[in-house]
Amino acid sequence: MSDAILKVRDLKKHFGGKKPLFGKAPRAVRAVDGIDFDLRRGETLGLVGESGCGKTTLGRCIVRAHDPTGGEVIYDDPDRGPVDLAALSRKELQPYRLEVQMIFQDPIGSLNPRMTLLEIIGEPMIVNGLATGAEVKKRVGDLLVRVGLRREHMNRYPHAFSGGQRQRIGIARALALNPKVIVCDEPVSALDVSVQAQILNLLQDLQRDGDLTFLFIAHDLGVVEYVCNRVAVMYVGRIVELAETDDLFARPLHPYSEALLSAVPVPDPEVEGHPHLLQGDVANAVNLPPGCHFHPRCVYCVARCRTEDPELREVNGRKVRCHRAEELDLEGVAQEEAVHG
Amino acid sequence: MSEVRTDMPAEELLDEAEPRAESRAAIASPLRLMWWKFKRHRVALWSGYFLLFAYLVMATAGFWAPSTPNERSRQLYAPPQWVKIIGPEGELRRPFVYGYEMTRDLNTLRPVYTRDESQIYPIELFVRGAEYKLLGLIPWDVHLFGVSEGYIYLAGTDSFGRDMFTRLVYGARITLSVGLVSVMLSLVLGLIIGGVSGLYGGWVDSVTQRVIEAIIAIPTIPLWLGLAAAVPRDWPAVYQYFAILVVLSLISWTSTARVARGRFLALREQDFVTAARVYGAGTGRIIRKHLVPNIMSYVIVTITLAIPTIIIGETALSFLGVGLRAPTVSWGVLLQEAQKIQVIQFYPWLWIGPALCVIVIVLAFNFVGDGARDAADPFSK
Ligand SMILES: Nc1ncnc2c1ncn2[C@@H]1O[C@H](COP(=O)(O)OP(=O)(O)O)[C@@H](O)[C@H]1O
Ligand code: SF4
Ligand SMILES: [Mg+2]
Repeated sequence: MSDAILKVRDLKKHFGGKKPLFGKAPRAVRAVDGIDFDLRRGETLGLVGESGCGKTTLGRCIVRAHDPTGGEVIYDDPDRGPVDLAALSRKELQPYRLEVQMIFQDPIGSLNPRMTLLEIIGEPMIVNGLATGAEVKKRVGDLLVRVGLRREHMNRYPHAFSGGQRQRIGIARALALNPKVIVCDEPVSALDVSVQAQILNLLQDLQRDGDLTFLFIAHDLGVVEYVCNRVAVMYVGRIVELAETDDLFARPLHPYSEALLSAVPVPDPEVEGHPHLLQGDVANAVNLPPGCHFHPRCVYCVARCRTEDPELREVNGRKVRCHRAEELDLEGVAQEEAVHG
Repeated sequence: MSEVRTDMPAEELLDEAEPRAESRAAIASPLRLMWWKFKRHRVALWSGYFLLFAYLVMATAGFWAPSTPNERSRQLYAPPQWVKIIGPEGELRRPFVYGYEMTRDLNTLRPVYTRDESQIYPIELFVRGAEYKLLGLIPWDVHLFGVSEGYIYLAGTDSFGRDMFTRLVYGARITLSVGLVSVMLSLVLGLIIGGVSGLYGGWVDSVTQRVIEAIIAIPTIPLWLGLAAAVPRDWPAVYQYFAILVVLSLISWTSTARVARGRFLALREQDFVTAARVYGAGTGRIIRKHLVPNIMSYVIVTITLAIPTIIIGETALSFLGVGLRAPTVSWGVLLQEAQKIQVIQFYPWLWIGPALCVIVIVLAFNFVGDGARDAADPFSK
């Protein structure tokens, strides 16, 4: 259970910053700026942070929709051994495309409106030579059933489906190549609350049945608590805390985690106020503050934080990027029993 | 992994797995949705039918015209005849036209035509007459209508006694085909240039955009005039025709290119394109399957709206004498006559006919374009 299927090492993605024909080079957007974590086989690792923290960029670097600026994404292939996906050329990458797939946030933009479900879900198989002709039809039908749609739907176009159903179609497309790892980029954020749970259930069922590992991106810790084994908290391009979901919720070690947690809706109306709600905006990834990047918004900030950039270090078996991790006693949320299954 | 799950919880199937509406819209293709949306614009729809008819007439001009465009007669400057069904004694007859009696105005020597009620030429359908080539290939001599004795000039005659109606029908052949062909040319140019610009970005894009801006910044008519004037006057008619085609499309490709570029830029950021890259689809396939189908409707709208400009361009150039020239018959060439003051004053049918044709066709294209613009995005309400 604990061996890593995907190891991310010092992954960086900077946008822009190229010197134009005339004038000085602008400063790059450091969307992802040195990320390290292991994705364990069969787990669901949550990746949370406010909008603009670089979560999508990180996900896209892993599936190589972006070419990373630096770092490694080491995929441990059971047959071919470990390989650094970030270093492969497009051609060399092709066989590994089957292993790592992505589910997108936007249920509308993620499906080509001019293709039928058969074409949408069948194309990955066709371009990778997994199936042709009638075999594609059969497999697409099976996938539709697997994600809770019907075989007869395969000749329809995406516009005939609701948001939740469209996400199911996107999931079927990601499953078409039988991947081992799926990066789920906020798969339920755009859906009605009533539909969210159905999609999350579907993902969990799929994970249970087929040997799948998820990197689950979310900006909502409520969803993460429901589906993730571990959580990585991300702030402007870096991980600031990485812990088991239960530990993080019970007692966060990083002030940013605490602030995110205090935004989780509390079921009990008796509980008063959220003293740690975040002030201000996410730091600018072009012009980062000196010292701890979180210090302008941190209520526990001391002099050292303004000048010295904290490392991601091991504290009580968890990883955290804060000078004061040991001394602070931060507030988690009381967890409901029996939520985890 | 390949095992099939059929044991979805029942409430999930009830809640969500039903298509949004089991209406016909749910099953229809986007193309069909567009057609439905376009059909809702009555004016656009009928303009569309009218244009289809006009292009049919254009392709089979010889059949619709009672004569041939360069056939002269003794009736010079004859005004249009009216089709009648009431005879001289007030009796009902099959449609016919009266012959003319010509006299001369003794002061100006202009011919003056009066109706000669003793000459009645019944109009017949599918009459045999002058030979022509159907679709430019098949020799044939049947005309939709005509008279077997006398003459019929529904739109009058010109200074050589040639039938204006026939000349208008043949003129459509040139004018409408110039519009269509040169728009196709600009479609190809615009798609390729706009596509490269939008897909590659960087300096290619910058250069292309500046060039397009430069072309757009020059006023169209003087630019056309300049280019058209450079076409050698002694070239054969066919060469001139193609030269004018090229001149006209050299400018209209810019709007197609802009639309194509903008759409390509927006589309290539869409998640479904990212998804296609992630599962390993090649660039060629992404362009063919994901990008082009999604921009075609917008490009078609641009083109529909560009055709009238081109038709007006051809007309204007020919009118000003730098476009097509007699003996080629186009609406612009016909309008050249309107440069003579006597024609404007005494023989108005010589310019009202071609002017009306241009106006009607241009309006029809604009109506269709408006309808198509609405239908191009079938998913918006
Ligand atoms: N293609 C791009 N070009 C330039 N900047 C980008 C691009 N994609 C994302 N960014 C920037 O990178 C940062 C992180 O964005 P993103 O990864 O989308 O964050 P998240 O998914 O956490 O909301 C943002 O500041 C965003 O503006
Ligand atoms: S290092 Fe300082 S500023 Fe940064 S999170 Fe910790 S306490 Fe706050
Ligand atoms: Mg995002």
